[in-house]
Amino acid sequence: MTEHAVEVAQPLELPAVVRRRLTSAELAGLAGLGAIALLPIPFGSFGFFVGQYALIYAILGLSVVVVTGYAGLVSLMTYSFAGIGAMVTGVAMASWGWPFWLALPLAAAATIPVSIIVGVTAVRLKGLYLAIATLTFADALGETFFKYGRVTGGQSGWIVHRPSPFRSDASYYVLLLAVAMALVWMVTGLRSSRVGRAMLAVRTNEREAQALGINVYKTKLTAFLISGVLGGIGGAFLALLLTSVTRSAFQSPLVEATSILLVTVVVVGGIDRALGAFLGAVALVVQQQVFQGARFFFAYFGIYSAALLVLFLLYRPGGLMQVARLQWRLIRARPRVGIAAAAAIIGLNVGLAWLFVRLS
Amino acid sequence: MSAPLLEVRDLIVRFGGITALDHVSIDVAPGEIVGLLGPNGAGKTTLFNVISGFQKPDEGRITLRGRDIQHLLPYERVAAGLSRTFQHVRLFANLTVRENLLVAQHRHLSSGSLSAMLRLRAWRRDEEEALARAERMLDLIDLRAWEAAYPQALSYGTTRFLELASVLSLNPKVLLLDEPASGIQQKEVEALGPMLRRIRDDTGCSIVLIEHDMSLLLSLSDRVYALDFGRVIAEGSPAEITQDPQVLSSYLGRTRRAHASA
Repeated sequence: MTEHAVEVAQPLELPAVVRRRLTSAELAGLAGLGAIALLPIPFGSFGFFVGQYALIYAILGLSVVVVTGYAGLVSLMTYSFAGIGAMVTGVAMASWGWPFWLALPLAAAATIPVSIIVGVTAVRLKGLYLAIATLTFADALGETFFKYGRVTGGQSGWIVHRPSPFRSDASYYVLLLAVAMALVWMVTGLRSSRVGRAMLAVRTNEREAQALGINVYKTKLTAFLISGVLGGIGGAFLALLLTSVTRSAFQSPLVEATSILLVTVVVVGGIDRALGAFLGAVALVVQQQVFQGARFFFAYFGIYSAALLVLFLLYRPGGLMQVARLQWRLIRARPRVGIAAAAAIIGLNVGLAWLFVRLS
Repeated sequence: MSAPLLEVRDLIVRFGGITALDHVSIDVAPGEIVGLLGPNGAGKTTLFNVISGFQKPDEGRITLRGRDIQHLLPYERVAAGLSRTFQHVRLFANLTVRENLLVAQHRHLSSGSLSAMLRLRAWRRDEEEALARAERMLDLIDLRAWEAAYPQALSYGTTRFLELASVLSLNPKVLLLDEPASGIQQKEVEALGPMLRRIRDDTGCSIVLIEHDMSLLLSLSDRVYALDFGRVIAEGSPAEITQDPQVLSSYLGRTRRAHASA
């Protein structure tokens, strides 16, 4: 008897499903993304600055998507990875005179030793305990790495300049848009792959994943590594956005608060979808930046984002990605109602924004 | 009996003061269907957990094809040819039926995360192979129409078949099935017997079966081990086992009473 008669009997017939045409829903989604990408233009340099901020958060959000959305590991130290990336970029450019395009891969690689240390610990912890451990790591990095003068440039930090031809606000925005979209595309690809599916499996049911031949430790460690590298890349671009990189931003409690905000961003966007990081960043960061001037809004931003986090977790666990999907289904089923509902949602948000600006 | 494929020798597992497995030894020959019989708490599932690497034994030895697999982690035992199902099917609730089967193709694929992110040829080849394998399994369990559904939309029996398709995707040499017929409809139970026999005939794998449905267990098994209080109390053909006085007193009698009171 042959060992795998089933297999021998039926030769593999390869379906060409990997390459396929875009569906109408995806085309609508792309059109929507295009519209969002054009948003900053009427607002000039401030619009581009907010857009740049949102895109950096989208990149950092991707880091959360991989580690938390895919692999189910709650990491509250994403912004520390960003800090490592930003500081390494600062040292390389300001102190060693490296060009940005050389500093960027170094910034990404610099996160790897930290990810390994955290990852090795993380595989032994679960849920809340892991979250607390990552907070502790963030704090420890703030007290060591981010206190080390030769890396952080002391109190004054590092001054870095954008490489040409990305010096103008518009061109840097376009660069970030390209980088963020490329990374969204990459993280999307990861989802439908051997490693990505292993992460999703580990997140849902570790025991079953093991029974199906998946190395849980390796999968978790890979998630941390990819998350760290994405954080480092985000940090490098953050350095160029801020132009002045100082260590105080990456110390407790600011660094933890920002990491938690990043988790909120991703939950609001749709935690297990790469595009969710982009949508969440647009939704939250734009509000945060636009209304910074509005005294009372800024004071309550923490409460506001926490409320959003809870509401989305309770009612739309798939985040804005789920909202968009439901909205699209409604438009397809009942076009008038669907379009009216979409207009109402957009109108309500624009109206609220206008109200905040007027009140401040 | 030919040389055993799976050899379990003198396993001892203690939970605190309780001895869950007490010098348990079983052999499984290539292509053999072995039934495990015993009342609840007899140690059947514990034995599965130890064989599949989810539970460390206090003492004993397990070899697969003559190779000591004691030090291997569960996922490494899968690679060595040992697959199992669980008493309570859970699958991956956040993945569709098709994605569930794609996850099960993991060990046949090799591409890394970078090639997936950059859509390299290695990734494309892997995805095409995974899809082809998953679709063949979908056809095998006749779930094509449900491939985009999530497991909670399926009947419990159907999730059982999905789980079976998942573990079959691993090309096991030895398949450990923990109560595959529990909680499923009678019609599905009747389909299960011939299906398991066909799986054995087609793939040549051995099957070790824990099952409380006596008629299914006895009709399917080539050989049966009876366990009670963590010990093997009898071993033999289904006909011999049902005549064994110890088995009758410890298990069959008890079940009948339990059924009567239920």
